Amino acid sequence: MSELPPITYTLEYPYTRTTGPVVGAFLTALRDGRILGSRCGDRVICPPLEFDPDTAEPVAQDLVEVGPGGTVKSWTWIAEPTRKHPFQQPFAFALIVLDGADTALSHAVKARGIDAMSTGMRVRAQWREERASAVTDVYFVPEADAVDTYVPPGEGEVELTEHLISLDFKEAIHPFRERFARGLIAGKFIGQKSPVSGKVYIPSKGYDPLARVAMTEADDVELPPVGIVAGYTVITPVQYYGQKETEPYIRASILLDGADQPLGQQDIKNIPHDEFRSGMRLRAVFRPESERKIVEMDNRWGSTGGVIDHWEPTGEPDAPPEKYLEHLF
Amino acid sequence: MSTEEIAIVAVAQTPSYRHYNDTEPSLLMTLVNQILADTKLDRHDIDFTIAGSCDYLSGLPFAFVSNVDGFGAWPPVYESHVEMDGAWALFEAWVRLSMGDIDLALVAGSGKSSPGSPREIFPLQTDPYYTAPLGFDPVSAAGLQAQALIDAGKATERDFAEVVSRSRRSALANPNAQVAKDVSVDELLKEPYFASPLRKHDLPPISDGASALLIARGDKARELTDKPVWIRGIDHRMESHHLGLRDLTVSDSTRISAEKLGLKSGPVDVAELCVRYSPEEIILVEALGLSGETNINPSGGPLCGHPVMASGLIRIIEVAERIRSGEAQRGVGHAASGGALQQNLLCLMEGGA
Repeated sequence: MSELPPITYTLEYPYTRTTGPVVGAFLTALRDGRILGSRCGDRVICPPLEFDPDTAEPVAQDLVEVGPGGTVKSWTWIAEPTRKHPFQQPFAFALIVLDGADTALSHAVKARGIDAMSTGMRVRAQWREERASAVTDVYFVPEADAVDTYVPPGEGEVELTEHLISLDFKEAIHPFRERFARGLIAGKFIGQKSPVSGKVYIPSKGYDPLARVAMTEADDVELPPVGIVAGYTVITPVQYYGQKETEPYIRASILLDGADQPLGQQDIKNIPHDEFRSGMRLRAVFRPESERKIVEMDNRWGSTGGVIDHWEPTGEPDAPPEKYLEHLF
Repeated sequence: MSTEEIAIVAVAQTPSYRHYNDTEPSLLMTLVNQILADTKLDRHDIDFTIAGSCDYLSGLPFAFVSNVDGFGAWPPVYESHVEMDGAWALFEAWVRLSMGDIDLALVAGSGKSSPGSPREIFPLQTDPYYTAPLGFDPVSAAGLQAQALIDAGKATERDFAEVVSRSRRSALANPNAQVAKDVSVDELLKEPYFASPLRKHDLPPISDGASALLIARGDKARELTDKPVWIRGIDHRMESHHLGLRDLTVSDSTRISAEKLGLKSGPVDVAELCVRYSPEEIILVEALGLSGETNINPSGGPLCGHPVMASGLIRIIEVAERIRSGEAQRGVGHAASGGALQQNLLCLMEGGA
């Protein structure tokens, strides 16, 4: 048997945040080529804060320009940057006390090598050509490498920031899920029957959550491709970030004959909404064997997408509610 | 409020796996079943359950809900969750039992770091305007902290390597450790920098794992075990997330917690410290005022196995096990969260009937 590829997925959340008066002023000035700190008692804090960090009391907004030169208070040479770092070649993160400030800013220093870095060294801010009203609009270089450029001011005040979180994950398919997946490719539904409670789960999570026991391959059972609509909802797709659907569709839970847990998240697009109902008997129609692919499979929910083409009514009489009412979800 | 003391009566932990090819609920289920078997309790004898985990780690939204399977959720149980290390779940459970109306609480922490990239995930803990967009990660924060220690004359790279060498040697006796080896300081110092002045071995191994313990009040604790480990106090404190506002060479939060708990009012036989980066041990030992009489990280600590979200609770379990075995009479477990020891928790424990 060929190896099933590892499961990969990307988790993304697009964040839009209001900046408030102090962070907004800082980001606006940064975009326009200036760095601001906030006066707090007899200190100047950079990056500026709305509050006194020692007492948490709000402070009157009194922003002052600092930098663009500064002194490195501590540093670390990053030999293997991550995709999220400001530079993709080795660089330094440093704590930089900007001229006129009393506290240090955490930021990136682009230097020729680790030997160009030392505590107490002088650095200077450099502005990126493309600016996004974000803290990444600048970076620092050793003072000798600095080139002062004209930074044309942008328009308006920065009041919002956009931050797309995007994380990649990859893991091997778990053994119980692999047997479910291989079953689907062979046109079969493989579940597991608990040796303790006798409950039949599909797709199984590898354990019986009622009896709290692990299950093994010996507990695998094959279920027929026929079942009852145990519950459903008609979803009108809201066009949020990442939405792929455009038309209303049915999402149903289907209780296969012999199962105690319905196969959830089944998309129904071939049956008119006004004909669809709980209790209806359906049969899975698999794609031709050569076209079956395990897509969007994960280790938690499983997925039948890419394997089942659609569900068709069997034409049998509807099942009575007592057959499925305890198995809605 | 009850003034009755609360004790740890049973503990369990999984190994620190590099890749655990099964679900997080299954990790927890193993531990819950072990604790129930050890105490001869039924699931429904337990009044309250609480877990610490982080959905971002394995990238599964609402993973903490799936984790409830590990505890058994039918018929419904009284449960809570913290998006923090299980040590903070213990704090909530300890406060909950102090209310005096229930006797038993089951606490767990679990996490699988292997599916994701921790250096890309953890920057999301930081300030979303000033720091997160830089991808500023805890390894980089630890590098800045290490360099600050060196510049202040408080430590050398050799001191960091000595922490690693000793920890890995200690871990040879820990069946749950992922990294255990007898390796000399000189050998370690030959390795290249990763986030200078830190080398890869100054960092914790990426780990999957879980930990759990059962706490009980007063007579209930004595009924369940002849070796209760009494929790004499838990204190946790947090410092600014702006590194530039802190003196990175000290841990004020840890020092104040130790004072509040009266740590130095008696001998500290054992200390398990959540040393995720080797320089942290030097800072924590100073903050706690520990002397040569204290056995520090006999398990090897997080440098030898670090299932994030379970790792802090494991420190408390390691101390509790040594008190139960009679190897120690009084000890402290430490948990940490955030970059450069931003947040710290201490749990002071003692043996005795």
